[in-house]
Amino acid sequence: MSETREVAVVGGGLTKFGVRPLTWAELAQEAGEVLFRSVPALEASAVDSLFVGAAEPERFAFQSHVAPLVAEQMGLAPHRIVQRTELACASGQSAIRSAYAAIRAGLSDVAVAVGVEKMNLPSMAEANSAMACVLDRPWDAAHGLTAPPFFAMVAQRHMLEHGTTEDQLADVSEKNHRFANSNPTAQFFDKRFDHEKLLRLPMVAPPLRLGDCSSMTDGAGAVVLVAEELVKKYTDTPAWIRGTGQYADFHNLANMESLTDWTGLTRASREAFRTAGVGPKDLDLAELHDCFTISELIEYEAIGLCPKGQGGTFVADGRSDLGGDLVVNPRGGLLGCGHPLGATGIAQAVEVSQQFAHEVDAKRQVPDPEWAMVHNLSGSANVHSVMIYQRGG
Amino acid sequence: MSAFAEVTERKGSRTRKRRVAMEPARAPRAVEPSVSPRERLPYLLDLYPLESPTQTRLAPFFDALREGRFVTTRCRKDGKVLWPPRIVCPACHSGELEWVDLPTTGRIYAFSALLAGAPIGQEAELPLVVGLVELDGSPLRLFGRFLGIDWRECRIGLPVAFEALTLPDGRAYFAFRVKP
Ligand SMILES: [Zn+2]
Repeated sequence: MSETREVAVVGGGLTKFGVRPLTWAELAQEAGEVLFRSVPALEASAVDSLFVGAAEPERFAFQSHVAPLVAEQMGLAPHRIVQRTELACASGQSAIRSAYAAIRAGLSDVAVAVGVEKMNLPSMAEANSAMACVLDRPWDAAHGLTAPPFFAMVAQRHMLEHGTTEDQLADVSEKNHRFANSNPTAQFFDKRFDHEKLLRLPMVAPPLRLGDCSSMTDGAGAVVLVAEELVKKYTDTPAWIRGTGQYADFHNLANMESLTDWTGLTRASREAFRTAGVGPKDLDLAELHDCFTISELIEYEAIGLCPKGQGGTFVADGRSDLGGDLVVNPRGGLLGCGHPLGATGIAQAVEVSQQFAHEVDAKRQVPDPEWAMVHNLSGSANVHSVMIYQRGG
Repeated sequence: MSAFAEVTERKGSRTRKRRVAMEPARAPRAVEPSVSPRERLPYLLDLYPLESPTQTRLAPFFDALREGRFVTTRCRKDGKVLWPPRIVCPACHSGELEWVDLPTTGRIYAFSALLAGAPIGQEAELPLVVGLVELDGSPLRLFGRFLGIDWRECRIGLPVAFEALTLPDGRAYFAFRVKP
């Protein structure tokens, strides 16, 4: 066993994202159906490890200990590592990251990373409570902090400090919804949102309107990761994981240094670039965590795609669109696809894998992509998780 | 802070000193209820903190709120003023913290309002105006709910004052009243 064994995502698939009439466990079954259909060479008996990204099954499905549940639903019997990974909105990427680490360390050869979240409940007030307790529950959420007012304050300060406009926020939403219109798994696949319509949608948390916010979504997905010597059995176009970085620096809002300067992301992406041996200019596409429109703008800045404060101009000038410097969120983003917390990170990896294999709709295909970044923030942008992929084959 | 006394605590073979509330809390003063009038939710749906000494070592914080005072902990070793209040300093990992008064006035640094999608128990309170407050003469910037203002009238820089609240079940909490 080499100490620097390389690891690749060799395929995966997603369920339809949206408001789905099925249970948490049924979503996991669908993830199994689509995984084995998407990766025909995959045999269940070859899967030695299973990592399940699920943010809040206790809250959304009153179910703990979901790793063995998923194994049963998907017909897997992992015999090396089986566990759930929880990092709120980044739970899916955490599953991939853990599978990557296990294979790289020689503790696994073939690992499946799954993401499942069922968020639409008969009582949406209870679902909102589940979202609120991602934040500092007794000291922030009890006052009325949930994600929309938090990111609204971020937007308000970014507008004040850098002159960012509602128009520029709508540019992000319009771009990502347009891409989602070519992604059949997306929650808003068949819904059109042009600029004018977005600016007429009702406010959720001023200055953020409905179109600035990602949705409560039911969805699941799964990817397979394998060690380098096994890659050829599964695919000719592996997505090699070349770099990773992560940073956590606060929990209560009082301890956030700046609302608009996400230094944690700068650190996490620098580490990912360093380990991959590339820089921002090498990226062909990036799946960035657009839970709210303002997030994507600040992420451009923190990653180094544009100078601080110029995220709004970057999107308005089309530099994150097809034909620009790189394509950000060709999948449709969280805004267009919906945000089933644990499944989002899996969906981003599936998009990278399919982009590398030229398997997506031509309306969102990035021309000949080689380097891709995937980013998730979680909570109040207090954790940033970054991975960098390179196309193989 | 006369309401606090130093006591010696034994844990196994080790002893240490800790400051605790000395007097029983006074009767809650009447304040405008700004939180849900509904009955207490099950604990695992209740956003508010459990404040009794059987549940938290930060009970003195809530006792102080009942006296209309706004306090937090400060590390005796490095002088760091910590928010939220804690029992161990994150900088030096000392458990020797003391209660200190916080400024009770400040200015709005950022704000928004939740207009839809409230957690259970807060549905009747929409629109819920919230924001970050820069406390006068302190490096702390605290998040809280704003009382006495419509979100359309709210502005960055407006002065606010700390206000102690009594929850319908008698627990203590706090908010900021905006003074346009
Ligand atoms: Zn200290």
